Amino acid sequence: MTEARTQRDAVVPFIVDIPRNLIIGFLLGYRKLISPIYGDVCKYFPSCSAYALEAVTVHGAVKGVYLATKRVFRCNPFSHGGIDQVPDGRRIWPEGKLPKIMVMNHPPIPADEDEDAANAARGA
Amino acid sequence: MGFFDTILWPFQFVVTWILRICHEILTAIGLNETSGWNWTLSIVLLVLLIRAALIPVFVKQIKAQRAMQALQPDLRKLQAKYKGKKDQLSQQAMLAEQRELFKRHKTNPLSSCLPLLIQMPFFFALFHSLNNARGASENEEGIGQLTVTQTHHFADSSIFGAGLSDTFLGTFNSGSPQISVILISVVMILAMVASQFITQKQIMTKNMTKEALEGPFMQQQKMMLYILPLVFGIGGINFPIGVLIYWTATNLWTLGQQYWIIRNNPTPGSQAERELNERRAAKGLPPIHEKKKKAEEETPEEPELPKVQRSQPQRKNRRKK
Repeated sequence: MTEARTQRDAVVPFIVDIPRNLIIGFLLGYRKLISPIYGDVCKYFPSCSAYALEAVTVHGAVKGVYLATKRVFRCNPFSHGGIDQVPDGRRIWPEGKLPKIMVMNHPPIPADEDEDAANAARGA
Repeated sequence: MGFFDTILWPFQFVVTWILRICHEILTAIGLNETSGWNWTLSIVLLVLLIRAALIPVFVKQIKAQRAMQALQPDLRKLQAKYKGKKDQLSQQAMLAEQRELFKRHKTNPLSSCLPLLIQMPFFFALFHSLNNARGASENEEGIGQLTVTQTHHFADSSIFGAGLSDTFLGTFNSGSPQISVILISVVMILAMVASQFITQKQIMTKNMTKEALEGPFMQQQKMMLYILPLVFGIGGINFPIGVLIYWTATNLWTLGQQYWIIRNNPTPGSQAERELNERRAAKGLPPIHEKKKKAEEETPEEPELPKVQRSQPQRKNRRKK
């Protein structure tokens, strides 16, 4: 994979990216068509499909699918959920070309208006 | 064996084994060995077993929903924080904060998709078994754990003249369509759509708070209400009658389960909760969650008071660990 990236050949990266792009296409279709029907049930943020999409985008088909599978099993009726981000990858995107899923999965969280109340709630 | 068969094999083993045991028990208590009703009941028993095995998951979810009461003040605060912020990034941030809140309180009312994912391979295994029943029967082979004789019976079984392994599309395209298959498929599809529709409608009209009824989630719910019948329709004409029996039975179970939740564990602030409280008042019982609500109303600024009462479910958790 790294070899393919260093040779900035137009064809090799394209072929290497085929499995990744197939999975990305499938996930985008799922999120557009099936996910809305099934509703909002995921215990985590980002949801399992968003996690999978980011994982495959950042880590490629093999590691991405592995990470996503682990996540789906983590998201079971006996877990408490929470925020669970994809581990950082080595892939770097040029300025302004960050994939949309990366933006959506890492929203800036505005500070609470009354920080004291929030801290009190956290301390309880 | 192909890739798909290999993955399905253990599930097919379980499904056919349960079917076989059910069929043998039903035959022992006097049902005709070759009757389609015997196999139909066996499939219904399979559904009951799978859904009963998932009851602990369901109980867990109800407990989480009950604990939601304690989260209400924090959830309202969150809603206030993001009021009017409708852009996608703010919505995402709100979702993230909400999930974090659930984690902090160690209670999560969301069901996760695993209950559905677990049922899928069993469903496909039954589908696969019914689809291959004819072929295996003609080749004098057994399917999964079914003996050759049982496979013959399974492949040839029918109710009202419609074979359990026949499909609507199959008979429609065969040149000489069987009216019985078409009729039973259509009745089953209608039953599935109706049960799904009622389940969904029940949630929407009775078990949602005013805020939820006006939120973006409602749009999704509405979409689901009208798209799912389409999914059932398209799926239904492709699936063998036996699979439709399975699907209808599992839908009816969901309907009953949902009815029970809405009646006994309604969402705080919903129509169903008001109805429950009316029933409780008629019996001379205090409204459900009354104490907690009063505490909230009296001291909306001070988060300390509800927290004192909140410690109870936490203690329970600790004891378990």
